[in-house]
Amino acid sequence: MNRRLLASLAIVVGIALIVIAIVYWAEPAKSLPSFFPGHQAGSNHHHTKHGIAAFLVGLASFAFAWFNTGPKRSRAA
Amino acid sequence: MPISYFQGAMLGLLQGVSELFPVSSLGHSVILPKLVGWNIHQKDPYFLTFLVATHLATALVLLAFFWRDWVRIVKGLGRSLREREIAPDDADAKLGWLLVVGTIPAGILGVTLQDKLRNLFGSPEYAAIFLACNGLLLFGAELLRRRAPVTSDDDDTRIAQTVSWRDAGLVGAAQAIALVPGFSRSGASMGGGLLVGLSHKDAARFAFLLATPIILAAAVLKLPDLAGKQGNGVRGPALVGALCAALTAYFAVRFLMRYFETQTLLPFAIYCAAAGTAAAVYFAVS
Repeated sequence: MNRRLLASLAIVVGIALIVIAIVYWAEPAKSLPSFFPGHQAGSNHHHTKHGIAAFLVGLASFAFAWFNTGPKRSRAA
Repeated sequence: MPISYFQGAMLGLLQGVSELFPVSSLGHSVILPKLVGWNIHQKDPYFLTFLVATHLATALVLLAFFWRDWVRIVKGLGRSLREREIAPDDADAKLGWLLVVGTIPAGILGVTLQDKLRNLFGSPEYAAIFLACNGLLLFGAELLRRRAPVTSDDDDTRIAQTVSWRDAGLVGAAQAIALVPGFSRSGASMGGGLLVGLSHKDAARFAFLLATPIILAAAVLKLPDLAGKQGNGVRGPALVGALCAALTAYFAVRFLMRYFETQTLLPFAIYCAAAGTAAAVYFAVS
């Protein structure tokens, strides 16, 4: 798989994870989509930790994209 | 008072040592109260709040002990982001990103599985059985370990050269086994480090660096519990426990970094197998 495609995928995944993080922070457990880990009918608990984890993995995806779209100085050397 | 000052001090001393020794701090924190007949249960909210303080203390000691390394690692991360590449000779940057890659699976598994696993296996009886299994795990890691290549005089350079991205992810994921009381986080990551070709000393160093952000983040996120209603009646013993945990954690990490220059995981494997089996038999017959 070429680097540009990998970087594009990482950006898409990163954006999706940031959106997921916001959903975790904004919605209580009862209002999360049922396929989300932590969904619990009737619970008003906010899964802050789930949101932080999704946010940080999203940032890591952006970092991966950042490296994959950088100049190839040392690889070419 | 749900936890006395004496109990807080004892549990703190125990936590500081057992968090860093590959013998499961959570397992010991669950087994000890039952063994000595204290009315403390692992699932009680005040006990979990108490553990936040001792974990925070341990994490701060680890951070302070490896402070200079963390400063170099963070600078390396910044340098690699600026240059948009991890230079082949930049061990600090490579080690920093290895720690990031190792922390991701541990974090995801921790967030999604922690409550379920602790609810399932949080009893002293299970913890005793899993402590014995932890001994077998350590023994297996010693048995299957690869001979560590001597590639550099510098610890971080050796780790950066030996551990691949995939290895870092696997070692990080291995930490998640410590969500089950009785299995050791440092034991799992040290064992993983040995399996990917690190020496005992480098595996211990990598395990402690890998553990710091996870323990610190978990403790900081739970700190509001200590300040809030759940902390009522526990704050004093928790503070005493945290100071005791900090003291023993400091001596534990100092001791272990020297110990693993020449020694192996075998004594810990024997201890876990023996103590776990003895506790399991005691719980079964009592």
